[in-house]
This record gives sequence, C-alpha cells and structure tokens, in this order.
Amino acid sequence: METMNDFLIKEEQVYSGGLSCRGCGWALLVRHLSSILGEKTVYVLPASCFSIITGPYPLNELKGTIVHTMFAAAPATATGIRAVLDRQGNEDATVAVLAGDGGTFDIGIQSLSGAASRGENILYVCNNNGAYMNTGIQTSTATPYGAITTTNPGTNFKNTMPKDLMGIIAAHNIPYAATASLAFLEDYRNKIKKAKETKGFRLLMIDGPCPPGHKTSPDQSISITRLAVETNLFPLFEVENQEYKINYFPDKKVSVEKCMKLQGRFSHLFKDNSANVIQEIQDYTDHNWQRLNKLHNQNINN
Amino acid sequence: MNNNIQTKDILKSKDNTKQIVEKYPRHTLKIIKGNFAAAEAAKLCRVGFVPAYPITPQTSIVERLSSIVAAGELDARYVNMDSEHSVFAAAMGAALAGERVFTATSGQGLFYAHEVLHAIAHFRLPIVICNVGRPSLPWNIWSDQTDSISQRDTGWVQFYGESSQGVLDAIIQGYVISEKLDLPVMIVLDAFYQSHTSENVWVPDSDLVDEFLPPKKKNGNEIDLNNHKDYGGLVPPDHYETFNFQYWRDITKVEELTDEIGQKFGEHFGRKYSAIEAVNIGPKTKMILVALSTITSTARGVINNHPEVGLIKLRLFKPFPVKSILKAFENVPDDTIVINIERNFIGDKEGAIAHEMKHALYGRKNKMYDVYTGLGGKDVPPLTIEKIIKKGFEAPEEVMWIDFE
Repeated sequence: METMNDFLIKEEQVYSGGLSCRGCGWALLVRHLSSILGEKTVYVLPASCFSIITGPYPLNELKGTIVHTMFAAAPATATGIRAVLDRQGNEDATVAVLAGDGGTFDIGIQSLSGAASRGENILYVCNNNGAYMNTGIQTSTATPYGAITTTNPGTNFKNTMPKDLMGIIAAHNIPYAATASLAFLEDYRNKIKKAKETKGFRLLMIDGPCPPGHKTSPDQSISITRLAVETNLFPLFEVENQEYKINYFPDKKVSVEKCMKLQGRFSHLFKDNSANVIQEIQDYTDHNWQRLNKLHNQNINN
Repeated sequence: MNNNIQTKDILKSKDNTKQIVEKYPRHTLKIIKGNFAAAEAAKLCRVGFVPAYPITPQTSIVERLSSIVAAGELDARYVNMDSEHSVFAAAMGAALAGERVFTATSGQGLFYAHEVLHAIAHFRLPIVICNVGRPSLPWNIWSDQTDSISQRDTGWVQFYGESSQGVLDAIIQGYVISEKLDLPVMIVLDAFYQSHTSENVWVPDSDLVDEFLPPKKKNGNEIDLNNHKDYGGLVPPDHYETFNFQYWRDITKVEELTDEIGQKFGEHFGRKYSAIEAVNIGPKTKMILVALSTITSTARGVINNHPEVGLIKLRLFKPFPVKSILKAFENVPDDTIVINIERNFIGDKEGAIAHEMKHALYGRKNKMYDVYTGLGGKDVPPLTIEKIIKKGFEAPEEVMWIDFE
C-alpha cells in the first residue's frame, strides 16, 4: 500500500499532446493507470472520448499498444488479444479495456458480461462521466436522474436512476471490481495495483469529470468529484467475489445538493420548483448508501 | 512437392466387400458431412484460435472443432463467445496479435457481424471463415446465398464451394491467399445440401498440408509488446484514401492469385482449382448458365443432355473474376444467351449474379436473363434446370421465377 500523499507519478507513460478537454478525467485517469500497468500493456479502446484523446493516426499518446475496436465489442477484441498473448508466452502482459459509460453500460454490456462470465484475464476500466460525451452529451443509462443532456433537454430531463453497473458486474462473481475517484488518488492507485495483480476479470469504474458535459468549470473537476464521494453520490467501494467493502466513509453527511448545484446539467432543478426531484435523488442516494453499508457489514461480519 | 498422382494402394473398406482405388496418395478417404470437412480443414491448417457461437446450420462445424481441441488433436484456444459480433471482434484481436484464426457462422450471425467484417477487412487481417448460407427473417434456416452475398462489399474475398471436397480444399487455399495478401477470406457452403450431407472427401495427411501451408509468418504489423503501435485510431481525410488505395491494389491481385494457388494446389494434392470453371463453352454454345455452389453440380448433370448449353461455375465471387469470365467468353458468339441462376435476393429486380455478370460482360452483345430459384432452401432438382433451359430457349424473360406460382 502506498502511504498518504504518495501519488506522484514517477514513471510517466503518457506523452504530451493528448486531446482531452480541459478538466477531463481521462487524462489523469490514464496517467495513473499507465504508470502502474507499465509498457507491457495492450489497451483496447471502443469508441469513446479516449479513442480521440489518444490522438489521430499515426499518433499514440501512451507508451503501450493501443487497439481501437468497435463500440460494442472491446471485451471481445481483448479476449482474442489475451488468448494469443498467452499462447505466445506473454502471460505477464496486461490487456486493459478503456471504455466510457456508453460503451460499458449500454452498447458494450453484452460483450462485457460475456468476458466477465468467461473469467477472461482482462482489466476493464470504465471512465463514467454519465453520458455519451464524445458524441456531444447524449443520455446513457449511466446518466444521473435529473441531469439534462442533448437528448433529454429542458423539462424532459433524465427521469430514471442510473443503472447499477457495479451490482451487475458483481453478480458475475469476478475476483475484483472497484469504484475509484480522481480526488482520492491513493485509493485509486492502490486499486490499480490490486487490479493489476489480480488474475481474472477485473473492473474499475472511475467517476469521470467532464466540464463540457456536466456544465462545470474545468478548475472544479477534482473538487466536484471529491464532493460526489462525500455526498455518497459516487461511493468508493470494492467487490471481491460478490463481497462488498466500502473504502471511504464520509465524516459527516453532506447533502447531494452541494455537489449537484456546481453542475450546470442540474441547474434547472434549482430553478423550477424541482425540490422534489432533488429530494428523490437524496432519498435514492441515502438508500443506496444504506444498501452498500449492509453489504459491507455482511462481509465484515463474515 | 508431390507431382505424381498415381493410381496405387488399394484400400479395403470395413466390410472387406468393396475395394476403393486410392486416387490421391497421402490422403484418407472419409465419408463426412460438409461441416465436418470444414472443421477437418481448419484442423489441418493448424489454426490457433477459434472463437465460436452456435447457429444453425453452421453449429456442427464449431461443435466438431471443440471436440478436436478437447481431444488434443489441435493446439488451439477455443472460446465460447457471447454473440457473432463478439466472435468476429475476438477473431480480430487474435489476428492482430498474429494468430491464425478460424470460425464459422451463418445467416443472422453473419448479418450481426457485419460491422466487424468491415473492420477485419480494413485492418487487413488474414482470417478465414466458413459461412453456411441461409437467408434472413422471417425465420428460415435452409440453403440461400443472400447472407454472404449481402456481405460482398465488406472487402472479404468470397469463395463458394461446390462439394465438401471443394470446401476442404478451399479453406487450405484460403489461408495461403489470405496470408499472402493480408485479406480475409470467406468460404461459403450451401446449407444442408452440403453442410449436412455426407460425401466422399479425400482428407489430406497433415504433413502434406504442412508442406503447402507453412506456419503463419509474421509480417511486422502484429502486436509487439516491445514496439508500441496504435491500431485503428482516427484517420484524417488526408490519409484515409491511402489505405483504400493499398487495399484496392491488393484485392485486384486476388483473381490471378486464386488461379496460381489453385494450380499449385493441383500439383501438390492432385486436385486443381481456378477462379471460375467453364464447362462445355465454345463457338457452338447457344446458352451459358451461371451458378454458384451445389446448383452447379445439378446443372453439370443436366447439360450432359444439352450439348449446346454451357456452364460457368463461379468459385471466386468476390472480387468478381472478370478476367476469367472474359476469357471463357473469348470464342462465344454474340447470340449466345446467358442465364444467371440466382439463389439470392438482394431487394432488386435482378439478383446479385446478374449485377456482377453485366459488369463483367460490359461491351459484349450477349443477351442476359435472370432466374430466381431455390430461395429459402427450395430444392433445385434437374427438372428445374431443364425448365430453365427450355424457357431460356423458347420464351425468355428479363427476369424469371421458376417453379413459382
């Protein structure tokens, strides 16, 4: 385990010139991830912001191999690569999928489920920024309740709760799955290390700040993701073979409002007598946190 | 190379009552279904990765391969995938990493994989697959070439097998062509008439195949953990055309290479192949039938009784073998009529063979007619071919539906 604040990147694996927006989570996510995974890594990218960020042909932002593939099929492509690397004696290399939430929660969920069920030795990383940001902010099933997107505009905001991807992936009984936040780098780095060392299908879901999509100020990316954890909107936990463990308990209860009102995608809720929506989100968040705590306690008591 | 195909070695069948002359040394005569011939070929080609998903009438190909791998007869990784889309995506990943890959599919499976077919072709990955042809919904699992024909613009090379022997041999030749040009190859079988029908198949000894198809050579484009590359990232307009040009340059070599490899295959195994087969075509030919797959066998028999009727079997369908067709037509008079037998429906007035034949014969004066028959697996017996010939001579129409009320 790394000590507190020991999260400086010593071996940079990312070249300069990445094409991310200011305040995008992908840049930081990938810098830490690649610094731990090292050069013997094949990154498999479905259509996603990162497939653009890494640069057009013939550029490669990473010291590693990058394979771009179909939106729906990154875990399947990774399966083929993994199988052959193993046959070639490269069992020590890492095959990592870098996907967004659309590619994970929606179009890619079948191949994700397939690869997880088969126990493929793949690390799946989802940058969850809560919408199809690469195509310009369209609703995905990861989009939070109450958020506005270009396909849920105005009063027709997203009116269902996001899919519980971690619950779905946990149900596959995989050896390691975890959520992580770029505001909690020690925790994030430890999870990358744990994921790297675990054999089998592993998944990391990282809260992805997205200034253009969330209508936030780029300089607030980290503070908002920190608030997402403090408000329990994005709790930090691990699941090992269906056993849950919460990694961070906020000191005091912070209302979801505090995190939401910094994001323009929720601004309508603070204007149009939508207090009931905010309350619903608070209730759902509380319920979810209690549910996680039960799962956590069940695990600890065992 | 074994160039001496001799009649030798008497084989005795199990009951010792019949004797079969071995036509092909270093082969074993087996009575197997088309699907088993395909699986046998994949084994002989020593494929290293087989992603699989069941679909009728292909299923017994991947079932058979799973048994072969489980029995340790083939050193390969066999993976049960979650869909055909994933099958082809996994095939893509494995081929990128440098492995020789095989899989099989059918109808909806091929349609579902459509997106990936394009990607595999344009990633220039040498993959060989079998497709057992069947049409789309409403449900139908029987013989029909609409599935593979509808993938003709994906960039895959397509061969259609007339017999199970032809399929087995085409898979071996397919890998040679595929790996020489870095293009994917699809071998198409007819459903049931071929996939589930047992025939005599001469299965070559594995060392005979090894001599013809050596292990896959690296071409330097494979994933190399120590030499990082980025595959398939966004290609700006200034560069995209370059890839198309390179693809075009190589796809135009397929027809000639098919003949060359087919000739070499003949010298090595004793069975010669070419892009097309022209049967009974010359200055006195009044009618030429054009067909794919098992219908050609039926037509062969029928034209024995019609010396004025010839037959073109399209073995290579994509890229369309224009040069070979023109060569076959060299001594054909202008008043010889051409009848395309279409077991495909592509939502147009004419079937796909007509489109391709018109493109091949552009500038020639021969009249061309189109016949739809055998769609959705309807049997095309000799009588139907007789009807086509009769109608073609007596009252041809631009597009005809035979045996159809």
